[in-house]
Amino acid sequence: MAIIRGRARRTEAGIFTASMADIVFLLIVFFVLTYNPEVDRTQVKLPKTWVRTEIPKEAAFISIDKAGVIRVSTGKEMSLPVGSEEEVVTFASNVVAENPYKEFVVKADKDTKYDYVDKVLDALKQAKAKVIFLLSEQKTVEDVG
Amino acid sequence: MLNVKKKDIESEIFTGSMADISFLLIIYFMVTSVFSATRGLDFQLPEDSTTTPEIKREDSIDVHVQQGGVVFVDGKEMALEQILPYIAEKLKQNPDKPVILRTDPEATYGDMIRVFDLLRQAPDKIGVEIKTISIPTQREIQNIWELFGVQ
Repeated sequence: MAIIRGRARRTEAGIFTASMADIVFLLIVFFVLTYNPEVDRTQVKLPKTWVRTEIPKEAAFISIDKAGVIRVSTGKEMSLPVGSEEEVVTFASNVVAENPYKEFVVKADKDTKYDYVDKVLDALKQAKAKVIFLLSEQKTVEDVG
Repeated sequence: MLNVKKKDIESEIFTGSMADISFLLIIYFMVTSVFSATRGLDFQLPEDSTTTPEIKREDSIDVHVQQGGVVFVDGKEMALEQILPYIAEKLKQNPDKPVILRTDPEATYGDMIRVFDLLRQAPDKIGVEIKTISIPTQREIQNIWELFGVQ
């Protein structure tokens, strides 16, 4: 039996990284385009609805947690807690004075007492806000059945 | 005279640290961006709300959400699926009839949203759009009661 003695060819093991730069840049472009800094990080359980409308970017935020703690943000900076309904009126009036067509987003916990939400809505009406969004999550068939 | 051979220096941009910078940027965006809800139920307030509009019960459909999520429509207790057919009947007689959505302060926000969402689904479910859905606040309701001398 003839034995062929060939010199074994060495192949270096390596990971192909030429396309890494493309992938990384694609990811960066994706994040830059979709980046929307969250101005309010209050932990709430949002109610679920079938009807949902897109909220404009930089809308003013008013959040109400389950205990009724209210936080406000103009949409440009992080939200800050307010102590009373009058402070919400002052905040909303200032926002409306700057831009009369500024949208307000109410982000409230679904289990919070409606009384808290009512007071915020009343403050917005007093401040002559024009458009209000009640933040919600998408309702699905699983939620119903 | 010295005859020195010029050394060729290739011009190039150093890209060795590009991967580090790119990954740092990716990590920054991934950590700071969150998947937040960006949609919700919208409603518009009247342009001039200096005067409280006069609301007559017979001219409107009164939807009252009470504690525990119980809903009364024009004073009658109704299940959620009964509300839109009832409103459809009323709108047949007068398509401009406004719906007033009142919520008990002791009810939860979720109870109110459930009914508001239902009312907004009217075009899909009953083929009729409710032109005006009014959400009066407790202060406005009290003003109206005082107007009619109700304590």
